[in-house]
Amino acid sequence: MQIKLKFSLPDDCNQQQLINALADYYAIKQEQPVLKRLAIYDTFDWRLFKKSFVLYTNGNMLFLRKLFKNNIIHNTEITLPPVFIWDFPDSKLKNHLSTVLKMRALLKLTELHYRSTVHHILNQDEKTIARLVYEEISLAQEKTTPNLDTCLWLKSVKGYPKHCKKLIKRLKTAGFVPRQKEDIYFKAMKRAGKNPGCYSSKLKIQLYPALRSDEATKTILRYLYQAMKMNEANLEKDLDTEVLHDFRVAIRRTRSALDQIKSVFPKHTTRRFKKEFAFVGKLSNQLRDLDVYLLKEDTFKTILPPFLRDDIEPLFDYLRKSRSKVLQKTIHDLKSKRYAQIMQDWEAFLDDPVQSQPVESQSVESNAGVPILFLARKRIHKQHRRILKDGGRILDNTEDEILHKLRIACKKLRYLMEFFSSLFPGKKIKRLISQLKTLQDNLGDFNDLCVQEKYLLNIIEELRATGQKQKKVFVAIGCLIGALEREKQIIKNEFAKTFTNYASPGNKNAFSELFASKQKGNDP
Amino acid sequence: MTIVAAIYSNKGGVGKTATAVNLAYMATLAGMKTLVCDLDPQSAATYYFRVKPKLKCGTKGFIKGGQKIKKNIKGTDYKNLDLLPSDFALRNLETAFYKFKRPKNRLEKTLKIFEAEYDLIIFDCPVTVNILAENILNASDFILVPLIPTTLCVRTFQQLLSFCRKNNYDTGKIHAFFSMVDRRKKMHNETMAMMLKEFNGILRSFIPSLSQIERMGIDREPVAASAPGSVAAKAYQNLWAKFQESVFANPGLNPDL
Repeated sequence: MQIKLKFSLPDDCNQQQLINALADYYAIKQEQPVLKRLAIYDTFDWRLFKKSFVLYTNGNMLFLRKLFKNNIIHNTEITLPPVFIWDFPDSKLKNHLSTVLKMRALLKLTELHYRSTVHHILNQDEKTIARLVYEEISLAQEKTTPNLDTCLWLKSVKGYPKHCKKLIKRLKTAGFVPRQKEDIYFKAMKRAGKNPGCYSSKLKIQLYPALRSDEATKTILRYLYQAMKMNEANLEKDLDTEVLHDFRVAIRRTRSALDQIKSVFPKHTTRRFKKEFAFVGKLSNQLRDLDVYLLKEDTFKTILPPFLRDDIEPLFDYLRKSRSKVLQKTIHDLKSKRYAQIMQDWEAFLDDPVQSQPVESQSVESNAGVPILFLARKRIHKQHRRILKDGGRILDNTEDEILHKLRIACKKLRYLMEFFSSLFPGKKIKRLISQLKTLQDNLGDFNDLCVQEKYLLNIIEELRATGQKQKKVFVAIGCLIGALEREKQIIKNEFAKTFTNYASPGNKNAFSELFASKQKGNDP
Repeated sequence: MTIVAAIYSNKGGVGKTATAVNLAYMATLAGMKTLVCDLDPQSAATYYFRVKPKLKCGTKGFIKGGQKIKKNIKGTDYKNLDLLPSDFALRNLETAFYKFKRPKNRLEKTLKIFEAEYDLIIFDCPVTVNILAENILNASDFILVPLIPTTLCVRTFQQLLSFCRKNNYDTGKIHAFFSMVDRRKKMHNETMAMMLKEFNGILRSFIPSLSQIERMGIDREPVAASAPGSVAAKAYQNLWAKFQESVFANPGLNPDL
């Protein structure tokens, strides 16, 4: 078995002192130092870190390993720095990461500069019996940059276990300490000012049952405001479509919180910001729509018969051109005075401490001082019952408009459950959210198809206005609309089954058990 | 799939060990995990790699194979290149084979354990034409025969071929190449021309007679490690390229090589 051990150096020990410490026992042959530069990549929302992956480049090779592990899972040759998974060369690495990265862009987090010097430990025949590698790692190549880490690797040579054991003993006596399991990744991130896992598009808000409702709501809104600001800063860089998506989701969640966590703030404040955030949301509607169509390019093409696939190309060319114009307009709008004022006022409101008046002294309608657990249960339960009622009606009359309304109601309930998930037993609420998600997916798919159909109908006029002469593109769009309509009917037919599952007695009971009204202030 | 190649000759002093050591080194440069098995009790390959000629398992353990033989493997000074050292006791190898059933296939069985670990196994063979030679012929995918372009060498090569034909061994896996060639000698040139005409399977690559190769005994390193870029190193590089071509041409072997 081959041994590979990492040692910390004694204080102030350098390479020469290392050689001196062993020169009495061994002949040592030193090689020329080898330099290498590694660049570590991850997405904005740390998708790789969350799965314990480390993706890095070394020269023209891309490597994937697990945190705390040195062995490479996969590697592949690259010609350009990695950005999107679809640009990766076909390889095992690409297959391994495609479901993790999806449409997110990779960002270079930091560079690591290695300087490794191999020392061969020789026996009387001048045969190498072990190797010691003196390794210095820094974030930049300049010698003035302080080292991130300096360590000594001992690598045994097959067939010389006794010599290796003796060498370990001698190193320990000389003050070299074997290192515990660690990964340079964390040190590098810390030095580069990065906080792995600091951003997630999922909500992770910790609330306490007895917290005043206004304070709890502000905690939620502050979290969403941070998400908005983090994504807003990257919108101009146009990293990937998910930056805008997460920005918009944070806005939508903010609007939903203002609307659904009722009567916790003064009416005029709630009314004002609901209106303001509706305006902010609209600023990027067009850009998001274009992103969605462009993301669906491959899907749309596979829906079409093969002989029409190339003919749809002018449509996507047009969408791509429109997107770059709309992106500039959106960035411009997000730099407007009105937007800046809204965000400034919103931040001031969130920073303003809540008035801790006793519940009795507030107006009868106000929920500000009510323990958040009570309000959370009440709101979630009410919204759930509304969905059951509306959904039950739709079973007899599945009109597109009513399905759309039900989809919005489901989304509001989902947001409420996610805002307050820390107040309820984790497993139970996760199960209920997942049940709701199945229903939401059905309604969401249906809505997407409705919107896409309408958009494609409108785009025909727009394309005509641009002087598009190739008639085949219109045939392809027509064919696409037909295919979408068929898919829409299939999804519509699935609604009854999906809703019946959601409204099953078991699910209803689980909802009642968790959220049905209990006395104010009761803990779960 | 592991490729097994034997550097074999039934004539001594033709450059078998130098070829085994240098080809093994070339293979590791090409990214192949390689094991050199020194079957010669004179232990020259073992000496070149600066390893002590000692097999703790002895001849008996060697023939039995399994984990015991694995423990005798030594890492060389080069990445991905390991050595199964020789031992003076291996002089008894030939008689030891007869103690087992199917003695002619014993070596193949012994080395099965290394197949998962190595891409290439190279035998450095002693001069032999008895049971060990038959074991080598059975265990190898390729037999590389160094030939000095002299009359005696041609004679021994003919003997080898007729031995193989007589005993039903596949002569298709025998590939010869010229070794220790002195192009200034008329006889060397004429013999080479004659042999290329008369024999199939002779690799169109030769190793010249060079002092750099003789120095291996002093340097105790493959020539491409001690003198990269030298004529000797280039000659072995060329031989390795021709060897690879032969491997590619064999449909039964790994095309990814």
